[in-house]
Amino acid sequence: MRIRSALAVAAIVTLAAACGGGGGGGETPSGDGQPVKLDFLSLAWQKESVAANKEIVAEWNKSHPDIQVTYVQGSWDNVNDQLVTQFAGGTAPDVIHNDSPALAGFASDGYLLDLTAKLPAELKSDIPQAAWDTVTFMGGEGEQGVYGVPFLQESQVIIANKKLLDASGVRVPTPDNPWTWDEFSEAAKKMTKDGTYGVAWAMKSPVNRTLNLALNFGGTFFQTGADGNTTVKVGPEEREVLQRIHDQLYKDKSADPAALGQGTADPLPAFFQGKFAMLPTGVYLRQQVTEQAPDGFEWVTLPAPKGVTAEQGAVSQTLSIAQDSEHPDQAMQFIAYFLNAENQAKLAKGDWLLPTSQKAESDPAITTKENGWDVATASAKNLVVAPFLKVNGYDEWRSKVATPVLQEYYANKISLDDAAKRLVEEGNQVLERYHR
Amino acid sequence: MTATVTQPAPRASRRETSRQRREMWLLMLPAMVPVLLFSVGPLLYGIGLAFTDARNTRVHQTSFVGLENFTRMLADEQFWSSFQIGAIWSVTVTALQFLAALGLALLLNMNLRFRSVARVLAVVPWAMPPVVIGLMWKLVYHPDAGILNDLLGTDVNWLADFSLALPAIIVVGVWTGMPQTTVVLLAGLQNVPKELYEAVEVDGAGRWRRFWNITLPQLRPVIVAITSLDFVWNFNQFGLVYVLTQGGPGGRTRLPMLFAYEEAFRYRAAGYASMLGLAMAIVVLAVLGLYLWRQMREAR
Amino acid sequence: MRRVPPYLALFAYVVFLAFPLLWLLSTALKTPQEMALTSPTWIPREPTLANFADAFGEQDLVGAALRSLVVALSSSLITVLISLPAAYAMARYRSLVSRIAVGWVLVSQVFPFILIVIPLFLIMRDLELVNTLPGLVAVHVTFTLPFALWMLQGYVRAVPRELEEAAAVDGAGRLRSIASVVAPLLAPGVVATLLFAFISSWNEFLFALVFLQDPDVMTLPLTLVRFTGPEGVARLGPLAAASLMATIPSLIFFAIIQRRLKSGLMAGAVKG
Repeated sequence: MRIRSALAVAAIVTLAAACGGGGGGGETPSGDGQPVKLDFLSLAWQKESVAANKEIVAEWNKSHPDIQVTYVQGSWDNVNDQLVTQFAGGTAPDVIHNDSPALAGFASDGYLLDLTAKLPAELKSDIPQAAWDTVTFMGGEGEQGVYGVPFLQESQVIIANKKLLDASGVRVPTPDNPWTWDEFSEAAKKMTKDGTYGVAWAMKSPVNRTLNLALNFGGTFFQTGADGNTTVKVGPEEREVLQRIHDQLYKDKSADPAALGQGTADPLPAFFQGKFAMLPTGVYLRQQVTEQAPDGFEWVTLPAPKGVTAEQGAVSQTLSIAQDSEHPDQAMQFIAYFLNAENQAKLAKGDWLLPTSQKAESDPAITTKENGWDVATASAKNLVVAPFLKVNGYDEWRSKVATPVLQEYYANKISLDDAAKRLVEEGNQVLERYHR
Repeated sequence: MTATVTQPAPRASRRETSRQRREMWLLMLPAMVPVLLFSVGPLLYGIGLAFTDARNTRVHQTSFVGLENFTRMLADEQFWSSFQIGAIWSVTVTALQFLAALGLALLLNMNLRFRSVARVLAVVPWAMPPVVIGLMWKLVYHPDAGILNDLLGTDVNWLADFSLALPAIIVVGVWTGMPQTTVVLLAGLQNVPKELYEAVEVDGAGRWRRFWNITLPQLRPVIVAITSLDFVWNFNQFGLVYVLTQGGPGGRTRLPMLFAYEEAFRYRAAGYASMLGLAMAIVVLAVLGLYLWRQMREAR
Repeated sequence: MRRVPPYLALFAYVVFLAFPLLWLLSTALKTPQEMALTSPTWIPREPTLANFADAFGEQDLVGAALRSLVVALSSSLITVLISLPAAYAMARYRSLVSRIAVGWVLVSQVFPFILIVIPLFLIMRDLELVNTLPGLVAVHVTFTLPFALWMLQGYVRAVPRELEEAAAVDGAGRLRSIASVVAPLLAPGVVATLLFAFISSWNEFLFALVFLQDPDVMTLPLTLVRFTGPEGVARLGPLAAASLMATIPSLIFFAIIQRRLKSGLMAGAVKG
């Protein structure tokens, strides 16, 4: 009896061990004559955009039998955790899709390859310098480098309910003649009546939003001293937008307070129902609007208001190469193909974003009046690199200090002075740890 | 061989103990293999990191810093305020989970019709993929298009309200954790030997007395086991909050584990994050130790 | 008449716990327009199967579900097989080792596993287990084991020692007394543990995310998140359709095993 149970136990142990040890190791590619294998981690998730990605990869694999790309789908919500771990283990994918704010971190961690010397001239000249600025960071050894190829950019627009807009009789802004912030606030006030609000600010993640808008009045939120150390500043330029949004909410009462805690797409049901007239948001939301708007609902895309300038902080989606990739040159070849003008237009259309390729910008698919593409594409010229992108420790400042402070401020729990004080004082404490 | 086993354990002859020990090792061994291989190592490594300035980057040389992380943690007010939230969260969720699950387990153990169907439906929160759970509750709490406001006829912005966000999240926490607790308690209830009830039946004891005098004491080991685990899990939970509020509004729902997670994965401060983890583990173990010790003493 | 309150209570519980199933079903059948209504409907006005078509057309849901099934079944069976003897030892033998084991179970649960992911990943990489399903099974076993041990030893403790001793006095050997007296009484606990191990493995996301890199080995939870975008924006329709497919197997598994739960109980009653 005992022997038998001992045997059973032994069998289980071996089973477990076999289970543990039995797996095949990853095949290491590229002996002579073997094709090089690249993993491409893509974060595309919209139906058309996934299809476009798959199609381009398939075309590449067909025309490049010696460099075979495996298309791996990830997801925006988890890509950071996945990459931090896989980078640490040295097994990250070769080609990585991400966005410029995330690149800053990975670049200074030393996980991404500096592409400066590898970029083909054609690709380099097709993408404007302003876009390259969004991917130029300090690398792990403190040297400036280009850590990704920017390809899709997001800009801010206003999506408006056409019926309510027309009824208010306000001047309809155009890309060449946008509203000033005063006009915008005035328009919002005019549209506020009978339980309808003029505007809705979805401010669940208020920081990037606010900082990008602040550029309208030259608000940078950060300054770098002579010692090279960055500190937070909240002066008159920074306060402009903060004050104006707050006024819409609590003085004019032209902004819907219910939207405050919501994420980007959450206010749509109320928008379709006419609970408010205008939704300042990213260009990509037009996709959800077209898909979800009830029949007969008319909407238009308006350019974002301008302050001293119409400048907006740009966020780009990017393709990067892992520092530990065994085939960086082939990876670069693939990226150059993947992001040629024709493909960029396809990808931009699929994700409802703006291509960085100047050749792609004139593609009729993304300049048509339909679904506000003309206004969206025109806004690309206002994109500049947001200063916060380059600040070491920005991420920590954002989630530990700025997010709670701005949430409290927009919820009218603290005054602007208090908010400014905390942003600076608590913020500088955080940034101090990052000083070199 | 088998013959020796038949003696019913006269206390402690030396041969007997060494045989018992062999038996025990044999029984424990299979479970120890994966634990030693995949759990002990990483755990000790993680604890070790707490005393270094390790960063999750490629370019950083890790060095031993002694108690530096510890002193930094003591001064980290934000961490301690999130720790408070964590304490409220885990105690409330565990208590509510237990009470609700006990009620349900008792019902499911009664001889009711449809109880098999009810049993299956009761595990729905557990069976649902976590990705969907967050999205669904966001829609339940949606201020304009939400089921809850629709149902109550209210106009409340649940997840963005400074005083309601935490209770709202607690409800979700109870909801997600209830099935495990219910299933465990139900199995415990079915473990209670029928004879015990039969004996009291003769005395004509009421339902409440039966519950109090037999069910509860018999269930005690299971209750202690599941509530302590629930407590630990709830304390370590952050996925729900991450999806639903990301710690907002104004940090009102920032659980300590979310805090540690951000330290490690956002700011790459692996060393400091490990110290936070270690501190939380010690506090939780202390609370748990006290609880288990009291329970054991009362059980005697 | 006395029966009404329990039914009402049970009904309330079921509504609270199971309404999402109905919600998933109704969302999966809705058009995007209907999903964006301010007053949500439970029964779709124009039911459509387009979401299912999209979900299954874009992702290899069936393949992913099969892989998840293999992983969940093997890890739950292995977990129970190796934890049962150990749990018995922990509950019945008083010794240093079993105390250390109990302590370990707690510590391993208490220390946040998010901080263990990276060191574990390095070990798995060195064992060449990254990117393999057996590797994922090993990790799932390791991480459900403490729970299994903890619960099972609780159930063992709940079996009165006298029953076992009585059987031993009757002349049955220790192991036989375990098999004939303890095991049947434990059956419901074992089933509960099995269920726990199965579902945690079936739904496990983080380890799968970092360990599985090849599209050919990816499990169901990884496939599901592909319907979500940044900032909590998601393609709810296809996601709901796919989630329905992910939820139902767990429920079926539970429904089947639930019967065992009862027969285990009966066996216990007969023997007792």
